[in-house]
Amino acid sequence: MKEKIPYAYSISILVVLFILLSDNQLWARYKMNSEVHTQTALQDTVVPQLLDSVFDLNFKNIRTKSMVRTPRDIALNGFATITQNLKGEAAGLYATEYSGEPGTNSSIFIRGLSTPVFSHKDVYSNQPLVVLDDIPLIGTHPFSYMIQAYDIDRIGPENNLLSNIELDNIAAIEILKDPASISVYGPMAVNGVIKITSKKSASINKKRISLNSFIGMSQRPSVTTINGGYENDFRKQFYNLYTSNGRYDEDETYPIYLSDSLNNRYYGPSNWSDSYYNNGMNYGVNASISGGSKRSNFQFSLGNLQNSGIADDTKFRKYNARFQLDLQPLKWLFFHTSINATRLTRNRNKNLRNRYAMMSYFPDLGAPLAPNKEAYDDYLAEYDKSFDNNYSNILEGNLALNIQFGSFKLKSRLLVDYNEGFRDLFYPSTLLEGNNFASNYYGYNQRLVFDNVASYDWKLTDKSNLFLEAANVLQWDNHKYNYAYAYKGVNDFIKINLLESDPNNGNYLNPTVFPRQLVFKFIDRTANNLISFYGRGTYNLNDKYTASLLLRYDGSSNAQPTNQWIFTPSLSLGWNLKNEFFRDNAMYESFKIRASAGRLGILNQYDNIAQGPHYTAQVGYTGNVIVPGYNGFAALVRPYSDGWTGYDIPWAYSDHMNLGFDFQLSKRNVYFSLDAYIKQNKNQVLTMPAHAEYGYEYAIEPGMDVQNSGVELTLSGDVAAPASGNFRWNSGINVAFNTNKLTALPGGANEVVIQDRMLKVGERIDAFWVLENQGIYVSDSEIPVVDGVAKNYNGITFKAGDPIWKDQNGDNRITTADRVLRGNYIPKVSGSWQNNFFYKDFDLKLSFYFNLGRDIINQEMSRRFDFISNENSGNIDAVKEITYWEKRGDYSNYPLYNPWSSVSAYQTGQDLFMENGSFLKLRQVSIGYDLTKILASHLDGGKLYVYATANNLLTLSNYSGRDPEIANYLGFDEGYNMMIPRTYLIGFKLNF
Amino acid sequence: MKKIFYVLMVVCISLSSCEKMLSVDSTRVVSDENMWEKMEDTRAGLLGIYALTKSALVDHNAYWLYGEVRTGEYSVPVRRDLMAISQQDLNANNETLEALRNWRRWYAVINSANVFISRAPEVLEMDDRYKQANLNVDIAQARLLRAFAYFYMIRVWGDVPLITSSSENNFVNKPRENQEKILAWVEQELIDAIPALPLRYSVDEPEQLGNYYNEAQSRWDGAIATKIAAYAILAHVSAWQGNYPNVASYTAFIMDNYEKANINYTATSSLTSPSGFFFDKHSSQMFAFPGVWAHLEGAFTGNIEELTLATPVINKTMPDIYLTKETIVNVFNEAKDERFSIDTLGKPLNEDYFRNFNGRYPILSKIKCIQGGNTDPTFQIFTSALVFTRLEDITLLRAEALAVLGEQNGGIDLLNRIRENRGLPNYSEAMNGDLLDAIFLERQRELMGEGHRWYDIVRYNKIKNNDPDFIQLIQDGGIYWPISESVLQQNPLIEQNNYWN
Repeated sequence: MKEKIPYAYSISILVVLFILLSDNQLWARYKMNSEVHTQTALQDTVVPQLLDSVFDLNFKNIRTKSMVRTPRDIALNGFATITQNLKGEAAGLYATEYSGEPGTNSSIFIRGLSTPVFSHKDVYSNQPLVVLDDIPLIGTHPFSYMIQAYDIDRIGPENNLLSNIELDNIAAIEILKDPASISVYGPMAVNGVIKITSKKSASINKKRISLNSFIGMSQRPSVTTINGGYENDFRKQFYNLYTSNGRYDEDETYPIYLSDSLNNRYYGPSNWSDSYYNNGMNYGVNASISGGSKRSNFQFSLGNLQNSGIADDTKFRKYNARFQLDLQPLKWLFFHTSINATRLTRNRNKNLRNRYAMMSYFPDLGAPLAPNKEAYDDYLAEYDKSFDNNYSNILEGNLALNIQFGSFKLKSRLLVDYNEGFRDLFYPSTLLEGNNFASNYYGYNQRLVFDNVASYDWKLTDKSNLFLEAANVLQWDNHKYNYAYAYKGVNDFIKINLLESDPNNGNYLNPTVFPRQLVFKFIDRTANNLISFYGRGTYNLNDKYTASLLLRYDGSSNAQPTNQWIFTPSLSLGWNLKNEFFRDNAMYESFKIRASAGRLGILNQYDNIAQGPHYTAQVGYTGNVIVPGYNGFAALVRPYSDGWTGYDIPWAYSDHMNLGFDFQLSKRNVYFSLDAYIKQNKNQVLTMPAHAEYGYEYAIEPGMDVQNSGVELTLSGDVAAPASGNFRWNSGINVAFNTNKLTALPGGANEVVIQDRMLKVGERIDAFWVLENQGIYVSDSEIPVVDGVAKNYNGITFKAGDPIWKDQNGDNRITTADRVLRGNYIPKVSGSWQNNFFYKDFDLKLSFYFNLGRDIINQEMSRRFDFISNENSGNIDAVKEITYWEKRGDYSNYPLYNPWSSVSAYQTGQDLFMENGSFLKLRQVSIGYDLTKILASHLDGGKLYVYATANNLLTLSNYSGRDPEIANYLGFDEGYNMMIPRTYLIGFKLNF
Repeated sequence: MKKIFYVLMVVCISLSSCEKMLSVDSTRVVSDENMWEKMEDTRAGLLGIYALTKSALVDHNAYWLYGEVRTGEYSVPVRRDLMAISQQDLNANNETLEALRNWRRWYAVINSANVFISRAPEVLEMDDRYKQANLNVDIAQARLLRAFAYFYMIRVWGDVPLITSSSENNFVNKPRENQEKILAWVEQELIDAIPALPLRYSVDEPEQLGNYYNEAQSRWDGAIATKIAAYAILAHVSAWQGNYPNVASYTAFIMDNYEKANINYTATSSLTSPSGFFFDKHSSQMFAFPGVWAHLEGAFTGNIEELTLATPVINKTMPDIYLTKETIVNVFNEAKDERFSIDTLGKPLNEDYFRNFNGRYPILSKIKCIQGGNTDPTFQIFTSALVFTRLEDITLLRAEALAVLGEQNGGIDLLNRIRENRGLPNYSEAMNGDLLDAIFLERQRELMGEGHRWYDIVRYNKIKNNDPDFIQLIQDGGIYWPISESVLQQNPLIEQNNYWN
């Protein structure tokens, strides 16, 4: 109480301090529960306390086990990214890979989709916060899409930045979903939190070494290839039906590559797949050393991992180094530092579509790549002259100082997350009709956090205590990129964009290799700062009742100046039934009920909203978005394409309620947990189509409310218990039911159409907006005629060969009014079923993963049938890859419409192409043997475990496409992405 | 007590620095407070209107799809969207057509002009370098561009909402306004703008002394609107209204003053040269939106070349649109036409206007500004200016007016000027038929691919009144485009064009 507060280290801000006694018991017990460590007697050491994060402080009763498996088990699959590793591992977490290409970006949704997705950038605002050892990680910012003509890959290396951990170093991963656990992380945590905690250092005056390694392969898939003859036969059906002489009208031209059946390139053997698909090697090795005493200890680890794809020689490599040091120089002073450094490199796909989109340039698409291996190899040989270097460096640093006097604690930390990405690209002229292309990207994302927490544990009586905290967090985020690309260099030998370096030369800093007029340069940066204050009081009575109230005040630089701050409370209640009713009942290990409700602000992703009405340089047009001005001068105009931004846009916020209980039985390790929640994201901004007569595409308006609700259930236990012999079968299932609903639109609107998606109050936000297909008009006489007007599509009269679309409003016209909301692409049910069999020192682990109640639009099939529109159309979604020569989908599902018809018979937006995307996968099979006993004498108390794993073995699904997991962020299977590979590996884990 | 004091002190310190930390000025957009402070802001605002006008014109190549493809005279080998336009299936379900049905981009031009007109005067007080005279010229241009946008929209959609203020406090939905009324307003706007506009910039014209925005004439020639441009638009407005006496008087001003404005007739060789008339910017591009190679304004899309060129001019199998051999021969039906003519053996005189005449796809290669004005077929980046009007257009428009007004000789004189420039003998009724027919045919040949044809056909039919189908189409409003679904949904006061309902 009398201690002078030592805040000299504080730079500009110090926290409100509370002073008092400590209660180590509270902490110790909590730590045990959270399974952070398998080592016993942690509570006796002082060091772990030091690591308690500001965010971590939580009252003990409301914690539940969020992950099905331990990181150690997950590590057996050999995956590189967090998304892959978390798939199916927690109820309520839906992880989706858009492509099986290794190291590409993927998404995680916790408790559903809280804001509708229209383009890539909207996916970013649905992502959870990932916290690695207290560091809230920063990812890339979608602002670069502004200079991109196509919404495909973001420019830059696009390595999956959530690859920065080595699972072997990780002690625990927790998925935080309810207000009780996320509120403390503030507005960034509104979509949930993935909390990753590293292993602690050994502190028993003994060095510990661990070595983990695996090697394996990704298996080349077997596919059915087709050639020009096959495609020709496919198309002939339509010509036979709808043309008399093989030409629909006099201008019709049949593609040259299909018209010459003697052309061996297209009509010969279709064996391209030998050059395209490949087996890939996967490996990983991780070594760590740790040692020290209680007062000072360290750990150091190095790791390297490679995941390979099954085509185009795609590879993803990561190199990781981690160092951690904990010191307790004085009895009351703790010091912690850790540095986690990762380097990622990636060999990307060689898709034409991605290449053309990146170059913003379409060559003549009249002749696609030929299915013949020789022809394709020639192309690949040219491709080999290119380079495409993608690499990222990631650095996380944590510097923490804890001061403890009696029971008052002060924690002060400096956290840094910095990642930078590079992409250096060169395509030789032979790949593009004699024009080469070079581009260079450099971008970084940087987060700096300075936070201070003071806490005070107040023992009120023997049976009750009050834990008080006050904290202040300052966070600075910065994103920047430099990007330049150039066409038509002088030759293919100089592959970089050189600038004139002589200041005396009149051309100083002008490009020397590429023509100045064909060099395009971009620089962009954005910053946003976040300031948070919060206070929390947690009251515990008798170890039975707990209540915690958190009040926070957040200010964001991305909020409008008049509404910069938001106040949000959250309340959590816990009731320990075990202690109340079953204290003496041995049957229950634990029994807890918890309830929480809270509000969190939602951050604006872009800084333009904060500016209110503003001006931008966006004056471009479709296909040329990079026009910066006119007549060589910059232009400034209102943001007509992004939308009018007015004043008085308040903070959006999320109201979240959670009710749950869980119990653990002493028999058969039964664990059961059930949570129900309602999460209402309110007042979110939406780009409403508005003010067209004032030039705006949209108005950015607040007032969109989305509700997610659901139930999450986890049940596990021993089906066959060890009592019945050496055999043990442990089975666990986790299932999450989730549904979303739009509850309000800005301005009280009932429905709105944005970029071919409809949002309607009361309906799901991830539904497809489609025409209902009811067959085909076989003859003109079938076309209904009302009042002398034949049924038409936006005024275009239907003819024989056109589809019958359901006339929902009965006006004998098919218009957008007849489109209906059907299906959804976020699964209604997702989860996994784990089975672990143990026999003596053997174990067998089977993991099933499922998504149910989910739909996919098979866009690939729509494109294939719509060949008349897509042939040589210059449409980015109609580019023919080499995989065009692969038999995919089930052609018999689709009627033979007239593909020439102006009604666009094969348009994607109809339920003809919507399919059930539910699936069940046998995602992982792993068999292992624990050699510890055999080698006990040699291992000096260590452990050795060997295992073999197979991933992605089996898929059960009605989906007619390749893989029901591969759909893009809009639920479309475009057909361009690689399948998720089947991989096999063997490995060992050694600790001593 | 001491403790509380510490606490309060600390909170105070932190809150004051918070405000600083939370006010981050965006580096990506300019807020209202930071705009309209300097001369550079008015320049950026004014050129923004030009940029948006160009974008509205060239988005999805709208200018040529409205003006050329819609005539149905072109053949379309592959692109279904263009076929639909060519066949008047203007309601077809297609991204291109949806974009062409939507007038938003034009209203962006109008809104940016409205914003400019109301806000630019603020700079007078903020920046001493910015003078009233400069403001007058700027505002006149903004008014001209706004009037031009309305005129263009009326030709495409007929009646449109008339919005003449930025209304940023309250965007009110407005119904469509009678097009005659708007055209009268457009005419008045242009007339009001004219006194402030110079014949040419940065040449010490009385309306604009000294270097405009500190840049020499070479920077502005052909890039921004002059007095001549205003008269040219006026002439077109009046022609669309059928008010030929006004056409005659507006074009008279141009005919009297074009030399002063450094405008000339274009030689055939320059017209078709990759580095000729359509390349870069210069004052003979009377009202134009250039894509200047040196300013890195070359583009892959938004130029006529994207539609018309193909092999052997560029490496592209088939053109998006082409004119059949028969059509070409019908239009270029006179021998020795320097633009295009065939000899008795069917061999073209030259390959300037059309390449590959005897091939499967004759290529309309009149405009072919590739890269920096070269003939490299490998890289399809184009730099031609979008020329809304040039002296030949105005000359023929005047000829048309005089012919309609009965001043045959004056009309013939003007027509002969063009014919002479193209190597053709003087007009004779015996050889060339009706004078009006001859003038319109000359327009078709001379202005081919310049976005005039559809409007010429409409005017021709209004004058001639001899094609009952087309007259019916005009009466039913079928010459207009349907209005985009998304526009109709946003503004319930807008009604679809009857013809397309």
